[in-house]
Amino acid sequence: MPMSDTPKSGMPAGALPMLILRVLQSGSLHGYAIAQRIHLLSSEVLGVEEGLLYPTLQKMLLKGWVTAEWGISETNRKVRCYRLTPEGRRHLKAELSDYDRVTQAIQDILRTA
Amino acid sequence: MGELFRRIKYLINRRRMDAELESDLEFHREMAARAGRGNFGGTLRLREQSREAWGWTWLDRLAQDLSYTARTLVRSPGFTLTAVLVLAIGIGVNVAAFSLFNMVALVPLPVRDPASLVRLERRSPEIISGEMPYPTAMFYRDHAKTLSGVLTMMGARLSLEDDLEPAKTNFVSANFFRELGAVAAYGRLLDAERDEAGNAPPVVVLGHEFWVRRFGADPAIVGKVIHLNRKPVTVVGVEPYGFPSLDGQGAEIWLPITQQPYFVEGGKVLTDVSNGSVRVWGRLAGGVTARQAEQELLGLTNELRQQYPKDIWKNEYIRSDPGGHLHVMEPEMYQVAEMVGVLTLLILAVTCANLGGLQLARGVAREREMGIRLSLGASAVRIFRQLLTESLVLALIGSAAGMLLAWAVLKIVLAQTASPVWLSAAPDWRVLAFVVAMALIATLLFGFAPALQIARQRQRKTLARQLLVGAQIAASCLLLIVASLLVRASQHALYTNPGFGYERVVSIDPGLGQHGYTPAAAGEYLGQLRSRLEALPGVTVVSLVKLAPLGHSITREDTEINGQKASIYPNWVDERYFQAMEIPILMGRSFLPNEKNTAIVSEALARRQWPGENPLGKKYGENTVVGVAGNAHVNAMNDGDSLESYYSAQPADLPDMVVLVKSVGAPDGLTPIAKSIVGSLNPKLFPEISLLKSRFRKDMEQVELVASAVTLIGLVAVALAAVGILGLVSFSVSQRWKEIAIRTALGATKAQVLRAVLRQFVWPVALGIAAGAGIAAAASRVLRIALYGVSNLDSASYAAAILGLMAIVGLAALLPARRALRLDLATTLHYD
Repeated sequence: MPMSDTPKSGMPAGALPMLILRVLQSGSLHGYAIAQRIHLLSSEVLGVEEGLLYPTLQKMLLKGWVTAEWGISETNRKVRCYRLTPEGRRHLKAELSDYDRVTQAIQDILRTA
Repeated sequence: MGELFRRIKYLINRRRMDAELESDLEFHREMAARAGRGNFGGTLRLREQSREAWGWTWLDRLAQDLSYTARTLVRSPGFTLTAVLVLAIGIGVNVAAFSLFNMVALVPLPVRDPASLVRLERRSPEIISGEMPYPTAMFYRDHAKTLSGVLTMMGARLSLEDDLEPAKTNFVSANFFRELGAVAAYGRLLDAERDEAGNAPPVVVLGHEFWVRRFGADPAIVGKVIHLNRKPVTVVGVEPYGFPSLDGQGAEIWLPITQQPYFVEGGKVLTDVSNGSVRVWGRLAGGVTARQAEQELLGLTNELRQQYPKDIWKNEYIRSDPGGHLHVMEPEMYQVAEMVGVLTLLILAVTCANLGGLQLARGVAREREMGIRLSLGASAVRIFRQLLTESLVLALIGSAAGMLLAWAVLKIVLAQTASPVWLSAAPDWRVLAFVVAMALIATLLFGFAPALQIARQRQRKTLARQLLVGAQIAASCLLLIVASLLVRASQHALYTNPGFGYERVVSIDPGLGQHGYTPAAAGEYLGQLRSRLEALPGVTVVSLVKLAPLGHSITREDTEINGQKASIYPNWVDERYFQAMEIPILMGRSFLPNEKNTAIVSEALARRQWPGENPLGKKYGENTVVGVAGNAHVNAMNDGDSLESYYSAQPADLPDMVVLVKSVGAPDGLTPIAKSIVGSLNPKLFPEISLLKSRFRKDMEQVELVASAVTLIGLVAVALAAVGILGLVSFSVSQRWKEIAIRTALGATKAQVLRAVLRQFVWPVALGIAAGAGIAAAASRVLRIALYGVSNLDSASYAAAILGLMAIVGLAALLPARRALRLDLATTLHYD
């Protein structure tokens, strides 16, 4: 795996698709922007490795959660932007409620145990 | 669904998708570089990882393996061609055998709904009968709810006009053609309503081939009157071309069975409950299984027993077998099929052992290539897969070639034999599936072990090679022994005395029972016939026998004698039988005229029943043994272990008796004279007259055919083994070039060099021969019934097979080994 210079914490397994779907909710983004957004929004705690990001994006394309279309980047370059599909939106909703339930349960245990 | 669809879209547009991915990654790298991160890493690797998400990586690898395979195979055309040829033979033999089995037992008859047709057979724990009385068949037809139809058939020979040869006729139930969905070529076929009515006029349907041959394919024959057994009958139609009859029972002439008494005067088939006369098939009603039908028929049989307590056997039941194929497979036929299957699989084993050896040898030659690939980072698994792919491609090409070979062979066989028109040599889906399975099995057999050895870089081990040689030799040895046993058997049957004389005997079967003769009338007729025949010049003996030698009907009792299985063939004969058939009476005497409660046993039966005792005067069943006759397997020539018992024919047997006429010289001239005599005695009878020697020849032709087929298979196996050994020896010579050159330079003699080269093959060959002979000795017991009295341990056959094999193997080893003696020392030692 290629390493990047900013120290990054490991991504919890299986969380990346959910995070990608979440950052795409507000509009379409290209791959680099997705990585940046996740990094920034997590207060620079979570880093996304390219070796994980692009295979995950490909899987999500296959699942039909996102689509890709050509756009123009801030550096005026032709670039592919990923956009949430209705199916992806549905999936995100399901994932989030699932996630909430599980974290709630975990917190309950941590608090009372 | 959507995901699969998108996946396929990715596969189709993968070039564009890959370019898009590349652009993504390139952009990411640019941005990362702007942000001050330079060590992005190779985009190629990333791209590959991302592409794996599409799930088509295996396809890429397969394509790589395949293109590499194609290049490898094209680069060594000699090896490829040899391998494909060898495989084509090894697999072709199997495909041909399977195709034959397929035709006989698996391909459905091209008739209406073949799957619901069953053949019905009368059975009890002791008795099997292919034919049942017509009235019982009708009882089943009228009462069985699990059967929607019952078809009956009875073969007969009737004289057409004044033709010399009687016509092959089938009396069938009038629903026969309709049940099979046949449509007449001309006119109409039989019809249950019109032709089975009590006052229906006699009608006949002509067989298509017979119509062409005898009536010049004249459509105007429909409606004309012809004469069968001198009875006028109207032709109502012609059978369709290539009509697929049940169980291969075609006919020249078809008649409604209800009209049998009209053609065969005095015929009692329709009312006789005590004798089986018709073959019976049933059509299962919708949704009914064969088992349910059997259950119901068992109940009906028990009902029948109330009506005819004498005629229904103890524990009788009706057995059903699938009837919608060319032939109904009997258990004995499955045994034959299994035996053929084992022999052909042995060929495949030889083939694969052969190719496995070649593969290993090539593995050594490809050491450099494998070394380079391994050091470039290929895993052993990947190399293993690559080698297996090569084998698979070879096997697939070889199988395709084998299929073509089998197809050609079958086409010739079908053209040479009188096979049904609808049978086609073209492979169907079952044959195709079999071919693919063969290819996979062959791949595993000849590719798996060598690929494993090579991938682990162990191809130089000689043990694997020695095992392969041993296996080849063992299998070839087994095949050769079986072949030479069968050749010996056919030679033995042809050129040694079979224990009875057949050259100068004519058999006359007047068929009195079929014409309703009473014992008294039959006795009178036979007495007249005998005195007329005995008056002929050159006739020495006229005898009566119930089951004609080499005849159509055979009775066999399968019992146990002193704890061992035995097949006894009983016969009912008069006092002149042994003289007529030249069977010697070894002890005691022949029968006296009209003797009761006496028996004569064959020598072998006497020895097994009363070992070391005098059999004369012993009780055999209810009878007293009065004589011991020489062994004469007149009705089971092929089974050297069969036993015979004879009983004195009683007046009640007279309607079933066959007349044997023995002449001084060649009996050929007797046939027409006998024909005119029987014609003048009773013109309503149409006896079957034939020479025993021509029946004997016919039997022998079949034996020779089987023997030559097995010999051919054995020779193919040996040729394959020879090629394999040739290849292995020449390979091991070239592998040890340097060693040999050094030995020669140091003064080794030619004999020493040869010994050094060939030593590693001596043990495998010796062990292979021993194993092959051992398996043959153990397994050939089952062959005894086909060996015409030759022992299955016949030493001459074993010696011939083993010596032949050793000669071929020796030659195959020496030819390439001689090259070691002609080495150019200087060049060899300078090389490398």
